[in-house]
Amino acid sequence: MTNPIFWVGVLTLALIYASLAMALNVESGWGGMWDLGIAGLLASGSYCYVILTAGPDLDMRFAPGLSMWVAWPLAALFTGLVAFAIGAPALRLRREYFLITTLAFAEIIRQLVVIQADFTRGTVGIPNINRPFDSFVSGREYNYVLLAIAAAAAAVMYLVTRQIGVSPFGRTLRAARDNEAVALALGKRVNRMRIQTFVLAGVLIGATAPVYLFYIRAISPQLFAPGITFTVWTALVIGGIGSIRGGLAGAFVLIVFTEAVGLIEVDPAHINILVAIEPFLVGLLLVLVLRFRPDGLFSERTAFGAGGRSNSRARDPRPAEPAATSGG
Amino acid sequence: MQNVVFGIVTGSILAVATLGFALVRQTENFLNIAHAQMMALGAFVGVVLVDTYGMNIFAAGAITVVGLGALGVVLAAVFFAPVRHQGGTVLLFTSIGLALMMYAAILALFGTQARFYPDVSGSLHRIGGIGIATNELVIIGLAFGSIAALQLFLNSTGLGRAIRSVASNDDLARVRGVPVRTVSHTIWFISSAFGAMAGVMLGVLGSVNTEIGWHNILIVLAAAVLGGLRSITGVILAGLLLGIMMDVSALFIPTAYRPVVAFGVLVAVLILRPEGILSIQRRKDAVAA
Repeated sequence: MTNPIFWVGVLTLALIYASLAMALNVESGWGGMWDLGIAGLLASGSYCYVILTAGPDLDMRFAPGLSMWVAWPLAALFTGLVAFAIGAPALRLRREYFLITTLAFAEIIRQLVVIQADFTRGTVGIPNINRPFDSFVSGREYNYVLLAIAAAAAAVMYLVTRQIGVSPFGRTLRAARDNEAVALALGKRVNRMRIQTFVLAGVLIGATAPVYLFYIRAISPQLFAPGITFTVWTALVIGGIGSIRGGLAGAFVLIVFTEAVGLIEVDPAHINILVAIEPFLVGLLLVLVLRFRPDGLFSERTAFGAGGRSNSRARDPRPAEPAATSGG
Repeated sequence: MQNVVFGIVTGSILAVATLGFALVRQTENFLNIAHAQMMALGAFVGVVLVDTYGMNIFAAGAITVVGLGALGVVLAAVFFAPVRHQGGTVLLFTSIGLALMMYAAILALFGTQARFYPDVSGSLHRIGGIGIATNELVIIGLAFGSIAALQLFLNSTGLGRAIRSVASNDDLARVRGVPVRTVSHTIWFISSAFGAMAGVMLGVLGSVNTEIGWHNILIVLAAAVLGGLRSITGVILAGLLLGIMMDVSALFIPTAYRPVVAFGVLVAVLILRPEGILSIQRRKDAVAA
């Protein structure tokens, strides 16, 4: 119970999810693009990184064996490209159709990973992923190194997304989300901005992917089932969609909560129940927050001061549409 | 040809599952992600009744369908009714939460071991060189029987007309004194019962495992979008088409691509024809233009 290494691990995982939630907030919170394809983007970044750094011993068809410091930015770029390939057609669709399409693309990516076993080792997966500074620090102490890496990644993500949030670009993005007709009338190139945002979120998620791998240590397609998308979304919803601190706080609440349950001593006969606890808690938290605090712990209003708009998501789902249709 | 028969069987199951999903989408105005977990639950409850309690498959199926239909009404009242006023997106995310909770319940109650319906395939019939098992014939018959029954119910009973009025304009229906609450209960019962039935059928054809729900939600979404979410005929056609395409594609490309085919079709349809294959709006536009 008091094992510090355990809590270091929980903290690391929470920081990784916080990074993902902050990236998701840029596209979904501010951009209004409800993306259910996080798992696919994370898979793209992860597999790109793993394949580029794989050693010859794994017997993969393509294994250039690059240094991880080269592979890391390449993984981010590659994920950006994947995001562009998904976003270009999908962003022509609205709301729930966009959501279905991103979910379908994520599942296609996962199935492709399974099928293209020559390149990815399919369902067998790849164990013992190389980690930075692994040779200098060994065993238990490495957990602290990992915590530092995750904290640095989350800090960079916080600064980058905050910069986007307060920039004219971020303001226009939120304006276009709340009232597309007005943004268009003011001459903003809304569609181009959306695809830029979608690709940017892809790059950010791709850049986080290697940190996730350092933590998980072994990769297999199973990791990238829709479940991980829902977990990141739950973190953001708990914290508050539209606020950066929300993603951060939501991820901590969610991960500490679900991981702490793993500490409960369970009779091996009831192992099923232990397996079931995590999805159950994620689901329950999602349902409860949506019902009793739909704005989350931090609402968008508090994120941008009193001058900010109220969060339009819950109270007024489609403010722009009646005006647009009655005009035409 | 053999694969076309497999496709028709898969397609009729898919049509049943998708109709339940589309009914909720039409009247409650959100995509119920938990629908596929109801299928998984149906498969498990059925297999437990048959395998553990030695029940006849039809009796077990009937109990499962009615029981889970009732469970669906309760779940909707507990989870969806309180957040209804917040709109489709909140409902959708609530349904994701409910799906996760149902998935957890399935894991906790039934374990991760795959299970099988014991010996229900029956004898193999040969019609002009194509083999079809008794259970496949029964599935096709039951699927279309229940779809026809639903069609009849919607078209020629008072409650059915009330459901259709809520589907086309729920505010107007409420103002005109349609019993919206009864309608909502009925819809959830039918939707969940159809989901559970599709789940039992899937279990009879293959194996029952905890991942059934997550595997099927996208295929159901694909069929629903392909069918256009509005017309029953569209949904049936879309289900059959997807089923046949998935099973026939197995002849040309490795079976591992089966789900990719379904999602590929989904993405293609969404981008080329977002209103579905039999969209009323499209035909109206075509007439106007």
